[in-house]
Amino acid sequence: MRWIALQAFSIEPAVSGAVPCACCDAAQRAICAIALGFTPRVALCGNAVVIEVSGSLRLFGGLHELAALLEAHVHAFFKQNSLSAQIIHAQAATSLIALGRLHLLRSHRVPPARVADMPMHTLTATHPHLAVLERTGCRTWGDLLALPRDGVARRFGAPLLAALDQARGTMPEAYRWCVLPDQFEQKIELDALITHAPGLMAGVNALLMQLHAWLLGRQSGLCALKVIWHLDKRRDVPPTGELTVRTAQPAQSLKHVERLITERLNQENLRAPVHSITLVSLETVSLRNAANSTASLLVEARQTGMSQTQFIERLNARLGPGSVLVWQPRANHRPEGMQHWVDATRIADQRATKSIAASPSIHSAKSIKDIKKDFKAIYTDALYPTWLLPQPLKLASRAGAPMYQGPLVKLAGPQRLEAAGWLMAEQNDIHPALRDYFIYSSSQGTLLWIYSERLVMGASLQAEQVKQAQQVQQAQQSIQRDWYLQGVFA
Amino acid sequence: MTGQTRIKAQSSSALLDQLTHVWRAGELGGAPAQTIGTGYTALSRVLPSGGWPCGAMTEILQSQPGRHEWGLLVPALGALQAASATGLIVLVGAPYCPFGPALGARQLDMQRLLSINPNPCEQARHDSPAMLWATREALQCADVCAVLAWLPEARSAHLRRLQIAAQTHNKLLFVFRPLQAQHDSSPAPLRLCIAGVPQAASSAAYSLQIDVFKRRGPLLSAPVLIDTRPPRLAALLAASRERIHQHEPERQSALFDMSEILRKSLHALDRTASLQH
Repeated sequence: MRWIALQAFSIEPAVSGAVPCACCDAAQRAICAIALGFTPRVALCGNAVVIEVSGSLRLFGGLHELAALLEAHVHAFFKQNSLSAQIIHAQAATSLIALGRLHLLRSHRVPPARVADMPMHTLTATHPHLAVLERTGCRTWGDLLALPRDGVARRFGAPLLAALDQARGTMPEAYRWCVLPDQFEQKIELDALITHAPGLMAGVNALLMQLHAWLLGRQSGLCALKVIWHLDKRRDVPPTGELTVRTAQPAQSLKHVERLITERLNQENLRAPVHSITLVSLETVSLRNAANSTASLLVEARQTGMSQTQFIERLNARLGPGSVLVWQPRANHRPEGMQHWVDATRIADQRATKSIAASPSIHSAKSIKDIKKDFKAIYTDALYPTWLLPQPLKLASRAGAPMYQGPLVKLAGPQRLEAAGWLMAEQNDIHPALRDYFIYSSSQGTLLWIYSERLVMGASLQAEQVKQAQQVQQAQQSIQRDWYLQGVFA
Repeated sequence: MTGQTRIKAQSSSALLDQLTHVWRAGELGGAPAQTIGTGYTALSRVLPSGGWPCGAMTEILQSQPGRHEWGLLVPALGALQAASATGLIVLVGAPYCPFGPALGARQLDMQRLLSINPNPCEQARHDSPAMLWATREALQCADVCAVLAWLPEARSAHLRRLQIAAQTHNKLLFVFRPLQAQHDSSPAPLRLCIAGVPQAASSAAYSLQIDVFKRRGPLLSAPVLIDTRPPRLAALLAASRERIHQHEPERQSALFDMSEILRKSLHALDRTASLQH
């Protein structure tokens, strides 16, 4: 059996000696959760965490490797949550020896080489009897062991003897092992009633720290979580409000999730003061090899900014859905139907997978290049304008010629576009288009893409009516034509 | 004495030439900053270090948004996208929709273009704080290589923040503002004023006139003229101009007749005037 005892301290210069830090309880529980990523046998013992690691030694490459990895993980966790703490650990064959050594390390003393030479106060079970033992001349564990067992049992009670046996390893040690729940759900009461939503972030941050430790322990990444705030019951409003945050990629470091919650809370309006907050994890994905990978400084240095998906999620959280658009081509003859700007979050996942697929092998990269080539052959034309107006702008006309910010000069055209007939039958929302496109130059030297509608009609017109209308239109053409501005050659 | 001082001056100038971080106000700044080629030699020649500065804000002023942006920037943006595998180009508050088929023809990968419109429902009103925030966020994103922002209401203090963000994250940033901003102070090291050349003029070899009114170097003596139109469009316009020219002689003769008539009438007017005297 190998045991590791771990403890975190605050390193405040004002505090003389080693006093456990103020957020001690939460910190020790976080360490517990992180240690559960290495071994299932983790227990809280007083202010310290004891871990039985004999089953995990081989997987992690030995005791020293495991201890170093564990300490690195705990350090990284504390650093990410901006807590300054010193972490010490000691290992031994039984948990009581490990705890004793930890006790000595905490008071900056070197543990003795022999277990029998350990000072008496490092064994917690002796604390009620320390004065008596001191007066009888028992200063080390060895002195106590040398006393007759019956007498010790009569004088100090059975628990001390049992503790001594456990420390020697002759009696099994029984702990209540910590277990991580399947779903994270924690509620904390706030220090004061909070009336505006951004003020909830302090409480959310404390919960996020615990959630982070929980994720590390379960070796999984977070996909969705829910923040619930409990409103003051004296007001005539629903008792709780809630907020759901989702991320496209499972996250273990919760910096990005924290930013998303901040943005969402900034838009939230609390209808009554809030007294407590609950954080619930909705969806998690297990990450393979998460425990074995060290959070090295190199990885931190590589990521200098947000990734693309994080950037899009962040903008969406603040500006609302539909504010970030990406381009999608469409097979259509009408200029306004050739492209489509869609919400970026919808296809962010597809694109992420595509980029992953494209990176490693030459084969897949080649196929994407082929797709690109096809795309160019089909969709591009240099004679189109670079800006397209979202809606064609109807222009005023004078003497049969269009006007836009002054008189225009015709440079090229007409280019005839006829998108009508049976091809369009299925799409009822799009009307047929019969247009002549011209390139005009404005007095400021801008090239404008202007069309004149040759035929204005509904989709349901019969062919004969179309012909009639066309004739009428041709007759009227010299008199009046509708001119529309649709694009700018920028 | 004078000879000695001249020698001294010469030697000091030679020494100064060796120092790379010394820039004389009379010369173009050859700063060691990273630049992206503009794709137009006439323009590159007048820019410090011969291109758009990376990690700095470039301010482009024009009378109306959505007039000449793409022609000016597309060669540089296309080259930038071709150089990096994942580089995104972000548009903040674009005046219209960029048209994919045309930009694709000019070597721009439309799949790597993001358009941010802070108010999808109300297109007309620009939400300035949201746009400034979005621009800064875009500069902070690791996957973004260039940001194009239309900020008509931005003030100098706002732009300073953007300039700092562009500098720290080493991104290409173009800010489009109205002409009225020319006399405001700005933290941008490079400021241009662009205007179209009227196409009706007979010499339509150029389409864009650029005045670099702030740069690390002396004032520009005359605006730079470049042709930003794609070759096919230029050819089409030239062909249609040719066609018009073929019809020109008839019209010219008609004009000539008109002028003859006019001259006669003027003569007649003169005569009546003299009669009145």
